[in-house]
Amino acid sequence: MSLYIGGKEIKNRLFVGTGKLPDYSIIERLYNEIQIEVFAVAVRRINPEAGKGVSILDFLPRNATIMVNTSGARNHKEAVKIALIGRELTDSDWVKIEISGELKYLLPDNEETIKASEILVKEGFKVFPYISPDLIVAKKLEDIGVSAVMPLGSPIGSNKGIDCEILLKAIINEISIPVIIDAGIGKPSHAAKAMEIGADAVLINTAIATSKDPFHMAKAFDLAVKAGRIAYEIGLPKEKEYAEASSPLENLIRSME
Amino acid sequence: MIVNDKRIDFKGTIKELVEKLGFPKDKIAILVNGEMVKKENWESFLLKENDYVEIVSLVGGG
Repeated sequence: MSLYIGGKEIKNRLFVGTGKLPDYSIIERLYNEIQIEVFAVAVRRINPEAGKGVSILDFLPRNATIMVNTSGARNHKEAVKIALIGRELTDSDWVKIEISGELKYLLPDNEETIKASEILVKEGFKVFPYISPDLIVAKKLEDIGVSAVMPLGSPIGSNKGIDCEILLKAIINEISIPVIIDAGIGKPSHAAKAMEIGADAVLINTAIATSKDPFHMAKAFDLAVKAGRIAYEIGLPKEKEYAEASSPLENLIRSME
Repeated sequence: MIVNDKRIDFKGTIKELVEKLGFPKDKIAILVNGEMVKKENWESFLLKENDYVEIVSLVGGG
């Protein structure tokens, strides 16, 4: 089933971040061959002597959905400024608010993120805040009118996977807007897990972009996301403390004693 | 003036600066003293000697 989010119907629940990609031409293959629809990008200064250098804008498919992140922002004012630049450059109103509160774990500043969300929702953006997995923050953001929340699975680029499952489940269970698990997903099994616990989508960057073969690693993640989602929609079985035989326990063959 | 932390001798409008540096104008945004100047105003925006100009674009990001 499709995901309805930010005013769009999105079929592929794997969103891909484009940072650290060895070659931007992979983006077109991800779009055409794996049907990745949502790509995250960042805003940075360019070298004034570079002239007509290669821009990622030359590689983003026309119909892809571009999510501009506000990485590098240290407070809500910087995030708002970057969001406005992103909209000027892309005509896309999707913005991922990313405000780092510190540099060791790159954990988001939830308080500043709420402030930026309030301003950008009023400015007409589709707002996707990247947050530490805090249900109260997620509820406040839902009330403000963001399009989804993007709690982290574990710190950015750490490849540690879904390391705060109970907190993520609380958000998934208690708010009605989509939940996109972002950051820390290192393996396809992590992505499947995210989908199995009910995430609406995942955003993956480092694990794909820094792989020896980003295209096929994206394919692996795509399969994992689809597998996890199908299982979630069907409903997963309850865990039990002890074994429960799957083969019949009657009419067993027994040797003569 | 300072353009992305480099001193450049230039007099003119933003539009002229962008043309001089050879950037495709649909792929960049310009900030002057920390504030974005929309493209529709590039032709009329005269840069001053001490302006701090930032030229930005999109790059790969997560």
